Amino acid sequence: MKTNWIWILTFVGPALILLMVFLIIPIFASFYLSFTDFNVFAMTDWSRAKLVGLRNFIELFKDELFWKALMNTFYCLVVAMPVTVVLSLTCAVLLNREQTRFKSFFRTSFFLPFITNTVAIAVVWSWILNPSYGLLNWFLSLFGIKGPNWLGDPRWAMPSVIMLVVWKAVGYNAILFLAGLQNMPDFLYEAAELDGATSWQKFWYITLPMLRPTMVFVTTMMIIGYLQLFEEPYMLTQGGPLNSTLSIVLYLYRQGFKFFKLGYASSIAVVLFLMISALTLLRLKLAERE
Amino acid sequence: MKRGSLILFLIFALITFSFAERTLQIWAMGEEAKNLNVMAEKFMKENPGVKVEIQAIPWSAAYDKILTGIAGMQLPDLAQMGTTWMAPFGSMGVFEELSSYMRDSFISKDIFFEGSWQTVELNGGIYGIPWYVDVRVMFYRTDVLKEVGYDHAPQTWEELYDAAKKLAARGENMYGVSLLYTGVFGNEFMPFAWQAGGRIFDEKGNVRVTDPEFVEAIEYYARFFWEELAPMGGGNLFQDFASGAVPIFFSGPWMVNMIDQQTPEIKGKWSVALMPKKKTRTSFVGGSNWVIFNTSRNKDLAWKFIEFMTRPENQLEWYEIVGSLPAVKSVWEYPELANDPIMKVFGEQLKDAKSPPNIPQWEEIANAISRRVEEVIYKKKTPQKAAEALKKDIEKIVK
Repeated sequence: MKTNWIWILTFVGPALILLMVFLIIPIFASFYLSFTDFNVFAMTDWSRAKLVGLRNFIELFKDELFWKALMNTFYCLVVAMPVTVVLSLTCAVLLNREQTRFKSFFRTSFFLPFITNTVAIAVVWSWILNPSYGLLNWFLSLFGIKGPNWLGDPRWAMPSVIMLVVWKAVGYNAILFLAGLQNMPDFLYEAAELDGATSWQKFWYITLPMLRPTMVFVTTMMIIGYLQLFEEPYMLTQGGPLNSTLSIVLYLYRQGFKFFKLGYASSIAVVLFLMISALTLLRLKLAERE
Repeated sequence: MKRGSLILFLIFALITFSFAERTLQIWAMGEEAKNLNVMAEKFMKENPGVKVEIQAIPWSAAYDKILTGIAGMQLPDLAQMGTTWMAPFGSMGVFEELSSYMRDSFISKDIFFEGSWQTVELNGGIYGIPWYVDVRVMFYRTDVLKEVGYDHAPQTWEELYDAAKKLAARGENMYGVSLLYTGVFGNEFMPFAWQAGGRIFDEKGNVRVTDPEFVEAIEYYARFFWEELAPMGGGNLFQDFASGAVPIFFSGPWMVNMIDQQTPEIKGKWSVALMPKKKTRTSFVGGSNWVIFNTSRNKDLAWKFIEFMTRPENQLEWYEIVGSLPAVKSVWEYPELANDPIMKVFGEQLKDAKSPPNIPQWEEIANAISRRVEEVIYKKKTPQKAAEALKKDIEKIVK
C-alpha cells in the first residue's frame, strides 16, 4: 500500500509546526545567539549583534557568580535527589499497603503541592520560615531549639529552598512509585511469604529490584528537573543572601531578561544543556550496566 | 443584486471610516491605570472625535509586556514608563524624541523638579515627560522616639545612628531602623552615598566608588546590621512599625495611605521627615514618565494628551484622585499640598533628590552594588575591599 502523505501531514502537521515554532527554532536560535554579543542595543535592530566566537564562554568560565550558581545548583541536586527518592518511596509503600485507610485522601494531599502555584506556595513558606513569627521556629522552640534565620542566613537559605523543592516533588514521585508498585505481581510476595521472608526482606529483595525501571525514570527526570532549579529561589530569596541560593537558571534569567545580555544568557543555556545531557546519558548508561 | 450590496457595503465602510473617531491607545500600570479613565473622559470632552483607550497592566507584568511589545513592535501610542525603565527601553530606540514638540509648548525643563527631569534625558535627547514623582523620606514613630529622648526626627547621620542605638537597647527583638540587606537594593542604598558626597561616575565617566565618601556610606549602612540596629530576615514592615519594634524606615509617598489602611491603630503616632544629613540630605527620586512610541500614528494626539496631563490644574486633580506626587513644581503651591504637613515634607525633599545614572546598565550596576554592600554587611569584605571590587564590577559592566 502506498503511504498516504497527505493524511499523515494533516494529522501530524499542526503539532509539528507548533513544535518547530516554539521549541526547535528557539533552541537553534539560542545556540546561535550564544556566539554573539546580543544585548540591549540589538533588541530592535538585530544587525547590531556581532558574532564574537567563543568569547561568551571564555567569560563565563571566568565568572565568579556563574561558578557559585553552578555549585549551588549541584548542592540542591545532590541533597534533594536522595531525600526525594526516600521520602516519595516511603509514601508510595505506605499508600500501597492494604491496611492503610483514607488512601485517596492521602494520595490527593501528597499530590497537592505539586499542582499548586509556586508563587502562592512561596508566600506561605516564607511565613513558615520567618525567624520570629514562623511556624517552623515555633515548632523547634517547643523542643528548646532556637531555630536559625532560615532565609536570612547564607548557610541556611539553600537548605530552606531544598526543603520547599523536596516538599513539592514528593507527591508527584510518590504517584510514579505507586504506579510501579501496583504493577507488581502478587505471586512474588506470596512465594516469598511461603519461604518465610520478613516484610523488610520482601521490600529489599522484591520491591526494590522490581521497581528499577521506575527508579531509572524518576531519577533521570529529577536530574533534569533539579538542574533547572529556578522558581523556588526566585520566589523565596531572589538568589540571596550573598548569592547562596543563586541557581544557574536564575542567573541566566538575570543576565537575559534583567540585563538584556541575551548572548551571554544563551551561552549559559548551552552550558546547562550540555551538562544535563551528559548527566542524563551517564544515568542511562549506568542503568544499562546494572 | 450581489454587486449592489457590495457597493452599498463599500459606501458604508467609507462613511464610517472617514467619520471614525481617532483612537489614542495608552498603556498604564497599577493604581494609575485604574483611575486614568477619569482624566481620559475629561480629555475626550475637550477633544471631540477622539477616543482614548486605556489598557491596564499590573506592575508585576509590565516589564515583560513592554519588552514583548517592543520585540514584536506591537505598541500603543503612549505609555506610562517607570523612571528606572527609561534607560533600558529607551536604548532599544523605540521612544520618540520630544525636543521638537517642546519648542512651541508650555512644557519646558524648568517647570519640573530637577531630579525628575534627569530621568527623561538620555544620550543628550529628551525621551519622556515627567508625570508624577515619588521620593523617599524617613517615616518614624513620634511616640517611640520620644521614649528614647527624641522629640524630633533624627536630623543627621550621627543622630540617626544614636537614635537607632538607643532604640535597639530597649530589649530583645527591638531595633532602630529598617534597611534592605538582600535582593537588589541599589536604589535604597544610593541616597546614603549621595548624602556623604559620593558618586558612581564623575563628569569624565570614571568610576568613583572607591572615593572615601562612598566607602564611608557603605560602612555607615553596614554598621546598622553589624550592631543589630536593623533587623535581618523576616518581619513585616507594618506590624513592626505598629508594634514599635522597628520605629524608623525609609520609603515613598504610597506608604502614607498604606500605613493608614493597614495599621489604623497608630494614627497620629507617626510622621515623616527629611533624610538625615551628612553633607546633604539627598534622597532618591523615582516615579513615572510619559513616553510616545515612535511607531505611533497619533503622535500629535499623544503629545496633546501629555500636555493635558501636565497642566497644573490637572496635575492637582490627579493628586487628589490617587495621591501620587505632582512632578510640576508650581502645583506644590496650591493649598491642598502646601498646607498638608506630610506633603510639605515630600515637597521639601523633592528639592534635594537625585535619580541614578540614566544608562541601560543601571540594573546591572544596582545588582553589583547590592552584592558588594551585602558582602560588607555579612563581614565577608571590608568596606574598602568591597568598594574596590565594586569598582572592577562597574568598569566591566560599562566597558
